[in-house]
Amino acid sequence: MSPREYKLIFTGSMGAGKTTAIAAVSEIEPCSTDVANNDSGGHAKATTTAALDYGEITLTGGDKLRLYGTPGQSRFDFMWKILGQGSLGVIILIDNSRPDPLRDLRDYAQAFGDALAESRAVVGIGRWQTHPSPSIEEFHEAVRDLGYAAPVLSVDVRERRDVLMLLDVLFHQIEAAEQHAVPAIADMETP
Amino acid sequence: MSAETKLVSRTEASIYHAHIDALMTLQPEISGVLISTVDGFEIAAKLTPGLSAAKLSAMTSSLLALAEAMCKETASGACRDMVIDAEKSRILLMELPHHKQKLVLAVLCTNKVTLGQVLWAVRTCREQLSRRLDML
Repeated sequence: MSPREYKLIFTGSMGAGKTTAIAAVSEIEPCSTDVANNDSGGHAKATTTAALDYGEITLTGGDKLRLYGTPGQSRFDFMWKILGQGSLGVIILIDNSRPDPLRDLRDYAQAFGDALAESRAVVGIGRWQTHPSPSIEEFHEAVRDLGYAAPVLSVDVRERRDVLMLLDVLFHQIEAAEQHAVPAIADMETP
Repeated sequence: MSAETKLVSRTEASIYHAHIDALMTLQPEISGVLISTVDGFEIAAKLTPGLSAAKLSAMTSSLLALAEAMCKETASGACRDMVIDAEKSRILLMELPHHKQKLVLAVLCTNKVTLGQVLWAVRTCREQLSRRLDML
């Protein structure tokens, strides 16, 4: 069987770490579309993603994960729709240091509702160690209140193993949902 | 956030609008002009009713960022212009150099426009605008 390709989306608020997460695991130099950030109220960082991030991981057996990161701001929501087309699953990254992380979760869950409805999503909570409120359980409840079932994990997207864990959990979700074999991230070749 | 109130002085805004008006007078086939920040905030615009400057600013930002990434990937050097040739119109996208911050320019034209002519006019406008802004 010829190698397959899987399209996965990293989304979430500005500064949640989408670009960092893809860079942490991509085996190619990631494609980024960072531009100067003029919205210091939204986030103090110097640059922001205007179109997409892109990275790749090759799995044992040759199957490939194509990783796409969305811009975070809602003014770029047209890119969310474009990038979401044909994706197998979605990783929603939340920055728990932001003013209302639960609202962020609801906003992105709504935008990527199709993936959540089909259990093809996982939620990663960043900066939870320094900002423990809302708790992981509160995020679980928020996901349940939205009528979805998605794993919620605390992650540090600068750490390759944390991002791989997110991908692994996402694939288990997809596997459980679709009930057919998909490759395990744990078997991934080291770049 | 309103980029016009936070990123642009009244003097700058009047300069932008004057150059937009002059360009549209010179080239009647230009139906709209939009100047925005590289991260998609509107700075100045003159568009036909029904078009959202906010949405088009974000789209211009995405398209030019993607074009730059493609130029980098293909070792093509700096991205100069981007031309979208559509069934009913042509859209030119380009950077607008400014000593304070890099801006982007989107020009909407009818499909009757002579591309070379409008490109020349827009580039000339861009250079004049950059020079004028650098004098501030």
